[in-house]
Amino acid sequence: MRLLIVDDSSIMRRIIEKNLKDYDIEIIGMAPDGASAVKIVKEEKPDVVTLDITMPGMDGLACLDEIMLMHPKCKVMIITALSDKLTGLRALDKGARGFLYKPVNADDLAKAFDRLLKRNENKQSGV
Amino acid sequence: MKTSKAEFDATCSLFINSVNNYFRHLTEIDSELNVPYIKQSEGLMLKDYTGMIGISGNRKGFVYISANRIMYEDLIKIFIGIDDPSEEDILDMAGEISNVVAGNVRANLGANFMISVPVVFQGMPSKLKIPEDVSIYVIPIVWNNHEAFVVIGLQ
Repeated sequence: MRLLIVDDSSIMRRIIEKNLKDYDIEIIGMAPDGASAVKIVKEEKPDVVTLDITMPGMDGLACLDEIMLMHPKCKVMIITALSDKLTGLRALDKGARGFLYKPVNADDLAKAFDRLLKRNENKQSGV
Repeated sequence: MKTSKAEFDATCSLFINSVNNYFRHLTEIDSELNVPYIKQSEGLMLKDYTGMIGISGNRKGFVYISANRIMYEDLIKIFIGIDDPSEEDILDMAGEISNVVAGNVRANLGANFMISVPVVFQGMPSKLKIPEDVSIYVIPIVWNNHEAFVVIGLQ
């Protein structure tokens, strides 16, 4: 599984990277904003994107729209501090497959990726 | 600017819960809160590094968290295992804490409590425009023996 990590915080990008080391995941890139992420998605077609919402320039929700247009099979997991229900619902409505509220620890990431990978396996095996 | 006691208590309570949750969830070390107060005098309460979030929508103003370098170093060590973070890492950490603490308040205040991307700085910046018509609440906190300030300025 090929992953793109999108967050304007370099610490946050490295937290996600560090905590996914034990998974069978190839991190194909990291982006600090929506515009950079769209460019990487267009070129690399990652399987999964972790996507922050509050970022400079193109925010995560606008970026999600672009990703869904270019690469609708991409599984986007939103990881954001914006913990109101409306933002979560909007993201899911736009096509996000998962949603995590910051602060996110190793356990939160593991559970979210376990769910995502299990869904992927089930889909591949026709379950 | 005059603030009702109920409004002061309610606003401080939201941010206190958000700060407590941040440290407990990520570090398993609780933060200790000292008595919040309304800042009456001129000037800002600043430590070495500050992450500031602009607030717009239903409420207007700002929130910032300011702490000394050692607190951010400890957090970065816990999060990614780096012993000697760069200046950029410290500023990034300051911005990310402020972003998460302010963003989590939206669970109670809703999506119309809009937050900006963080502005981060070291020391006292020469160009920092603080709106005059805001009530400034100061919440002193201690995490892992490091003192920090959560400062909320809201219309």
